[in-house]
Amino acid sequence: MFESLQHLIAGFGIALTVNNLFYCLMGAVIGTLIGVLPGLGPIAGIALLIPATYNLNATSAIIMLAGIYYGAMYGGSTTSILLNVPGETASVITCIDGYQMAQKGRAGPALATCAIGSFIAGTIAILGLVFLAPPLAEAALAFGPPEYFSLMVFGFIVLCNVTGTSLIKSLMMAVVGLIIGTVGLDPVTGVARFTFDSMDLLGGVEFVAVAIGLFGIGEVLANVEKPLEFLEGKVLVPRLRELYPTLEDLKKSFKAILRGTAVGFGIGLVPGPAPVIATYSSYMIEKNLSKHPEEFGKGAIEGVAGPESANNSACQSAFIPLFVLGIPFAPPTAILLGAFLIHGVTPGPMLIGEHPELFWGVIASMYIGNFILLLLNLPFVPLFANILRIPKKVLLPLVILFCLTGMYTVNNSLVDIWMMLLFGGLGYLLRKLDYEGAPLLLALVLGPKLEVAFRQSLMISHGDFGIFINRPISMGLLVATLLFLLVPVFRIILKFTRKGGIARG
Amino acid sequence: MNRDEVIGGTLIFLLGAVTAYFSLRMPVGTFRTAGSGLFPLGLGILLMGLSLILFIKSWVPSKSMEEKKPKHEVSRSAKQVILFLGAIVLATFLFDRLGYPLMSFLLLIALLRTLGVKRWAYNLSLSLLTATGAYILFVLWLQIPLPKGWIGL
Repeated sequence: MFESLQHLIAGFGIALTVNNLFYCLMGAVIGTLIGVLPGLGPIAGIALLIPATYNLNATSAIIMLAGIYYGAMYGGSTTSILLNVPGETASVITCIDGYQMAQKGRAGPALATCAIGSFIAGTIAILGLVFLAPPLAEAALAFGPPEYFSLMVFGFIVLCNVTGTSLIKSLMMAVVGLIIGTVGLDPVTGVARFTFDSMDLLGGVEFVAVAIGLFGIGEVLANVEKPLEFLEGKVLVPRLRELYPTLEDLKKSFKAILRGTAVGFGIGLVPGPAPVIATYSSYMIEKNLSKHPEEFGKGAIEGVAGPESANNSACQSAFIPLFVLGIPFAPPTAILLGAFLIHGVTPGPMLIGEHPELFWGVIASMYIGNFILLLLNLPFVPLFANILRIPKKVLLPLVILFCLTGMYTVNNSLVDIWMMLLFGGLGYLLRKLDYEGAPLLLALVLGPKLEVAFRQSLMISHGDFGIFINRPISMGLLVATLLFLLVPVFRIILKFTRKGGIARG
Repeated sequence: MNRDEVIGGTLIFLLGAVTAYFSLRMPVGTFRTAGSGLFPLGLGILLMGLSLILFIKSWVPSKSMEEKKPKHEVSRSAKQVILFLGAIVLATFLFDRLGYPLMSFLLLIALLRTLGVKRWAYNLSLSLLTATGAYILFVLWLQIPLPKGWIGL
């Protein structure tokens, strides 16, 4: 424990250099802007900014990109409260009571509670990260290829189960992502696969192009289709002196913030879109525990404090599987894994030992980033809210220009732009046909790792599939996967049994 | 039967079939020494299997399908998406020839016009201002080597 604290202090030494402080501030500001602006979520935001980090060292780059991620989570609540439009999916729940508070002239306390709750949750979650990551990394050293394979399969199944409306469709998207991930050189034998003699495809499909296409261009196209008047309504911008919550507000929020933090931290550790599930769970918990559940949906401050804290806590704890196992459980951390690899760093159990300056520097920067975000989000909320006054018909072309420019800078290649547009069109179609893009992106990033783990396992066992069930950790993960797969089947059986019961009755 | 499910399922089934076909043209090997084609072959077959399950599900009438969503019409909004995407595709096609500043200026005019910015003075000044800002930021300040085109900027 003391060792972790010592390392953390050294990490502060790294994070507090002028350079890293600047990139932390940049990440927090850009992240908040991305969170505030509907149409550009943290996934496309991080992907777009990866090329801007090429000239930086790995530590500064990850400090900035991580800042964008948690900054977007902070910023997302602003549009939810002021406009009833979530800046990103994790802020959907905040709309319910946050917007109602704004309608009653209490937008200020709602925004301030979000900022304070996010700060407390973020800070506590980082403490969890500091003390949990090193022992977990040691435990992860016992993982071999079969365990990694089973863990990734488990991650896919859980993510597919909780995203979208249909498990089959989400699984299909994951398999499509895995297929796209096989394009390029075979990671084991070096044979070119699905390249159709194109040199541009030898290195595989550029994941930044897929991310910006699916989540940036696809989102913009979906917005273009909507009636443009929908975001040009009146924006309620509170004045600075209206921002501060009353003592009563703080008293009501305090327990909700702590509960949200605990719920979010736990959910961030398991696969799936953690912030979304965490906010929903926290809201339900607060509603069930409240002495006045009837106030929920009509502007209850606990309905804002709990979910926003859970959101930020989940976002911070989601870094644990990424840092410790090298396996992201959600699309934003999958993009961050891509950024790590671009900068020549492979996250996993060895990260803390091999790159201590990066690991502890990034964690320390998260503390600083949280503090910067608190400072930004309290007094500057009116400023960020004013950005919402930019009409969408002006904003969307700007996002497109930024996507084109950002994509070109990745490899100075037009092929990447074509790829991005292709996936943009695909992203739009997927939205129309009710398919989820998240499993595809995660599968694309993890695909090569999954294939290598699968083939290495079979090589070790001389082709015997029993290796996946003979090893206890691997078997445990596969059993958990099977249970998750069977949940929908049980639900159907339960539904039929109930129906039968009613019919007989 | 849900039309969208069938269209989506068919396209994905075809992707699975194409993947399986091309995987078979690679060395597949054995489970002990897997070749390059084994993993994608498995994925292609799995994708076809999942598509078939989706087909079967789409033929079974369910309550959610009975509550049909209103039919999408090829409306003004769909036309807007096509025009919007068309402008981006054309701009990408001409990117090298026009160069970054001119491409971004013309693209912004087209996109703003598509989205309903009808006043030419507003549209042109906004496009010019933004394209100049982007040029200063990306080319002059960040020194990103973007195509110069025939104007040489």
